[in-house]
Amino acid sequence: MKRALFVLLCGVVVAPSALAKPGGAPPKKDDAAVGPPSKAITDDILDTIAEEMNRQFTQLEIPGAPKPYHIAYKVTEVDVNDVSASLGHATSKRNRHFVNLEARVRVGTPQFDNSNYVVPQADELDGVSAINLPLEATPRIARRATWLVTDAAYKEALMQLRAKMQARSAGGTRSTDVPSFSPLPGTPAPKDAKEPKGDRPAAPLPGGGRPVVSETPVLVVPLETLDEIEVRAKAISSVFRDQPAIRDSRVAITSYLERRWYLSTEGTAVTDTRRASGVVIAATGQADNGQALSQYFLRYGTTAKDLPTDDELKGESKKLIEAVGALAKAPLMDSNYTGPVLFEGEGAVGLIRASLAPHLGGTPVPEGLNPQEAKTFGGALTGKVGQPVLSTNISITDDPTAKTGGGKALIGGYKIDDEGVLSQRIEVIKDGILKTLLTSRTPSAKGQVSNGHARRTADGGAFHGSATNLFVTGKNGVPRAQLIQKLIAAAKARGLKYGLLIRRLDDAAITSAPEFSRRELVQMIKSTDQQLPPPAILAYRVYPNGKQELVRGVQLGEVPIQAWEDVLAVSKDITTYNFLAAPESQLQLRLTGGTDEGFVPSGGIESGIITPDLLLKRLDVVGTTAGERPVPIAPKPGK
Amino acid sequence: MRWTFPLGAVAALAVAAAACPGGGNGNGKLTGPVPPLSGGEIRVDLPAIPAKIDMSTSAPSEGHSPDKRSPILDILKAENEREMAALKKQKDPAYYLAYQLVEQRVVNLDAEGGALINDSDNVDRNLDVEVRVGTPELDNTRALAEDGNSLNAPLTRRGVVPFGDDKQALTNALWLETDRRYREAVIALGYVRQDQATLKNRHPVPDFSPSAPEVYVEAPATLKFDKQTWIDRLKRCSAKALKGQATRGTCGIVFQLNTVWLVNSEGSQIQLSWTSAQLSVSVGVKADDGMNLARLEQRFGRTPADLPSEADVDKMIASVNGDLDALHDAPLAEPYVGPAILEGRAAGVFFHEVFGHRIEGHRQKDTTGGQTFASYVGKDIAPEWLTVYDDPQIRTLNGVQLNGFYRFDDEAVRARRVSLIDKGKLVGFNMGRNPIKGFDKSNGHGRRSPGLPPVARQGNLVVEVQKSVPRTDLEKMLLEEVKRQKRPYGMIFTDISGGFTNTSAFAPQAFKVNPVMAYKLYADGKKELVRGIDISGTPLVALQSIRAASREVETFNGVCGAESGWVPVSASAPSLLIEKIEVEKGFIPPDRPPVLQPPSIRKEAP
Repeated sequence: MKRALFVLLCGVVVAPSALAKPGGAPPKKDDAAVGPPSKAITDDILDTIAEEMNRQFTQLEIPGAPKPYHIAYKVTEVDVNDVSASLGHATSKRNRHFVNLEARVRVGTPQFDNSNYVVPQADELDGVSAINLPLEATPRIARRATWLVTDAAYKEALMQLRAKMQARSAGGTRSTDVPSFSPLPGTPAPKDAKEPKGDRPAAPLPGGGRPVVSETPVLVVPLETLDEIEVRAKAISSVFRDQPAIRDSRVAITSYLERRWYLSTEGTAVTDTRRASGVVIAATGQADNGQALSQYFLRYGTTAKDLPTDDELKGESKKLIEAVGALAKAPLMDSNYTGPVLFEGEGAVGLIRASLAPHLGGTPVPEGLNPQEAKTFGGALTGKVGQPVLSTNISITDDPTAKTGGGKALIGGYKIDDEGVLSQRIEVIKDGILKTLLTSRTPSAKGQVSNGHARRTADGGAFHGSATNLFVTGKNGVPRAQLIQKLIAAAKARGLKYGLLIRRLDDAAITSAPEFSRRELVQMIKSTDQQLPPPAILAYRVYPNGKQELVRGVQLGEVPIQAWEDVLAVSKDITTYNFLAAPESQLQLRLTGGTDEGFVPSGGIESGIITPDLLLKRLDVVGTTAGERPVPIAPKPGK
Repeated sequence: MRWTFPLGAVAALAVAAAACPGGGNGNGKLTGPVPPLSGGEIRVDLPAIPAKIDMSTSAPSEGHSPDKRSPILDILKAENEREMAALKKQKDPAYYLAYQLVEQRVVNLDAEGGALINDSDNVDRNLDVEVRVGTPELDNTRALAEDGNSLNAPLTRRGVVPFGDDKQALTNALWLETDRRYREAVIALGYVRQDQATLKNRHPVPDFSPSAPEVYVEAPATLKFDKQTWIDRLKRCSAKALKGQATRGTCGIVFQLNTVWLVNSEGSQIQLSWTSAQLSVSVGVKADDGMNLARLEQRFGRTPADLPSEADVDKMIASVNGDLDALHDAPLAEPYVGPAILEGRAAGVFFHEVFGHRIEGHRQKDTTGGQTFASYVGKDIAPEWLTVYDDPQIRTLNGVQLNGFYRFDDEAVRARRVSLIDKGKLVGFNMGRNPIKGFDKSNGHGRRSPGLPPVARQGNLVVEVQKSVPRTDLEKMLLEEVKRQKRPYGMIFTDISGGFTNTSAFAPQAFKVNPVMAYKLYADGKKELVRGIDISGTPLVALQSIRAASREVETFNGVCGAESGWVPVSASAPSLLIEKIEVEKGFIPPDRPPVLQPPSIRKEAP
């Protein structure tokens, strides 16, 4: 199956009480007003799908070909309200509501099956097939859809298996004794678990694994309405009116829920619901020499109550206007720099997103990928469990069960991952030593089992272990002011005139604008190094006297994992930051003009990062004039 | 260049396109230009009775309502003038600037097997800015001699623009997009000049034709419908459609409210507003050999109230179900060359594909195009009793609302009737503002869907005949022709789902259309439905093979896709007797039906 049009992945645990008051305090009365359960997926529909699953599992067979040994279904109901506005007026306002049934069929054996292999010239063959279901419960259609989608996935799985076997026998890909599919871990049943119904197998399975059965609908607070969102977006975007330094601006607000149901032939039968609301503000400008400038602000929470107030958002908008105006006059980073870099607040989050989080997954790169594509899967920590990989003052935990971090709501969590495995808090790195990686049921080592982090699909059809709510902690944190002194000292020690402070990295999903011609875009594809972190769009030279000078055109060189072995110091201050990790690369986003051409980014994997500021000992930084273009012939209207 | 013509079925595009990969089918039998028609092998005495055509038209200027003018027109005009004042003074001056702002509300409801499966109602706005830099004789739009990847073409994208009529918000969007497009045009012109400097044979025909300014304001239309009533109707419809052999039964509607504001630097100021409605009934099944079988019936109207009654929809359902069941049991056809009848709607589609796309003016200019008709102007290409024209001003033809009606095209030129074949002679082309030799003006056929540059497209294509016979006689003539050609049977095509025609000079100048309902007609009058075939051939030969036409005229309404996007069109024609048509085996996908039998529709007992 080609990647689905929507990439709203992973559920967050939003039991009514947790939703209303992150942190577990009793809900306020008005917060407890949860919405109704799904009209599309009812017990009847799930029974129907399960019945058809059983029929397929017991009868589906093409003579001479292996039968499925595992079938799993993921049913997703997505309901999204999105509004985008500019200069006080909506540019887009829409609801999207659909139900999708996805079948995933495995053929072969758990030791060697079709999965996680990219068929050359046919990457759509991945043993996965999807179809839309009606918006209201209709067993007749659900049964037929299950029949068709399972059949299609089975045929794909057979082709994929054949190609994978062929590739291995031809020596084209690695040969390994690592299994293709690990058994279900023997996790305890969740609190709301109940006995499985019907003819599904009772837990636990032979081998100790326990399928999760948790079928009580998780009800969430209804979406903010399109009209409510529109009023907010218009009001906030009005701040950008009459601002001569701003070229373009956009305020986008989203409110969505995603209900999920998982069924498998192992007996997994669970449901989960995720609910999130978010706001994105973006503004662009142009420096006197023509260089394009952009700034953005984003916040996500479980509902609009977790977002800043209108007044606060207007204040943030004004800060963006000031930043763009200041950047327009700021000097260009005109010389190369190698030395200490302090990542403060969002800057630290950006660094972790770009250079650390991609390496924490423990799922092997899909077989059959070329090396360039394989690099996008990270993998720098593969095979290093037990070894020192980070500075000894740094520890990292990934916790999808966390509802809050640093006192703020987190959106990166869920109850059950995409393979029906219960979420778990995982200590990934302890005092610089790699303890374990984030895993799915596609192991990278013999004996490795899932720790409930399957949440990112990729070519080849397997789920990959990925970060959820990533807690980075550092020892001996110091106040921010003191950390800046440490930056100055470190710069001095290297004989530098200044140290570099980064407060924000770009996010092409937010700031991309259609400023380039077709010819220029092709040029960018050819010449851009995809391994580079995004440009630093809020960076300062910090001089020994403490003066902070804003500079533009700052581009970090490649940040190797080894750079993390020298984290000189961290702050006491903690930044909690939710975001949606777009499945596309920064370059792809830049080329395609961001997510959805000006609509709200409600696609991507919910993620949270909780981190102190980070002072790294030595990084390469270059000045860049990228994004230069002539200033407009006609002045901005009203200027 | 290839086109698909799914005639209203956007979903069919993938099928049509997937079935014809690579462009061209290698069916070219001709090695040089075809000589003018000399009379043909057979002579048929046809009664000099024209086919029946009654039409109603509406001139572009009708309904002009200056008092309904939106302030948006003034905002577009002011910014256009401000920008032009600056841009025309540049080293690479802009000589033309057009703004087209389109607002579309699209209501889409689909039900399958009795359940609602899609429910959306969204409003979008799109801004298209066209900047021309250089001179009309040579500007940034001139095609490079070699630009296979269209790197010099404007980038296709959504032009984000706020709703409402706030001056600051709209003007900022106009300014941004003008800046982007001007810069893009200057870059493109640089390459054009470089290209021209090294070419031996330069094209003497200009890139752009000026046009008189038009001022027209249409009162805002309103879209009225009761959503729940339609949901209930579609549920009932799709429940009925999912029967017999069908494994898919879908009924859907698309209602649209369109408003367009168009301003250019020539002084045109146009405001248009209209609604449209479309209803479709679609069923499908996979044949035992893996072939995807589908039947689609669509109806179009200007408003939801124009769509068929529930009783009429029941007839559509019965028709698609009956056809599908018959197709499921029909044998595959073998290749065939011989006489055939194209029934009214199929004949309309045939003309749209085989003739209509080749008569789009700019194709005669494309240096990589076959320019099939460029050298045939004034020459006989069809029987002298046959006339073809395209007229977007026609609202109804024989009582049927035509889908290709419009007042002004997307280049601010008023819609005009253009004569294409007059008594068998090729006399004209559908023209946008891209001139060709001998045809230096637009006739109001520059069309696009939002976001794409406009090119010459069809509107309402009409095939008129001065001689005709009753439809029943056409079948008798077919059997006579079968006998004369010593064929075992003749063929009748009643429905064509779409197809493509290749105009690239790299490949044979061939067409291929996909008949859905094809019958063999035997000498004893027996009809046998067959499936799995395509009609192929070359356009000039096909036109010269027309031998007779029926008195009855039918209309096919649909939506046509080409390089400037999807545009509503119609094609009206009588049934035609073709002396020789070539039929080849169609594409059957390498698939197989589901391994297991369909599950019981009723819930199994526990």
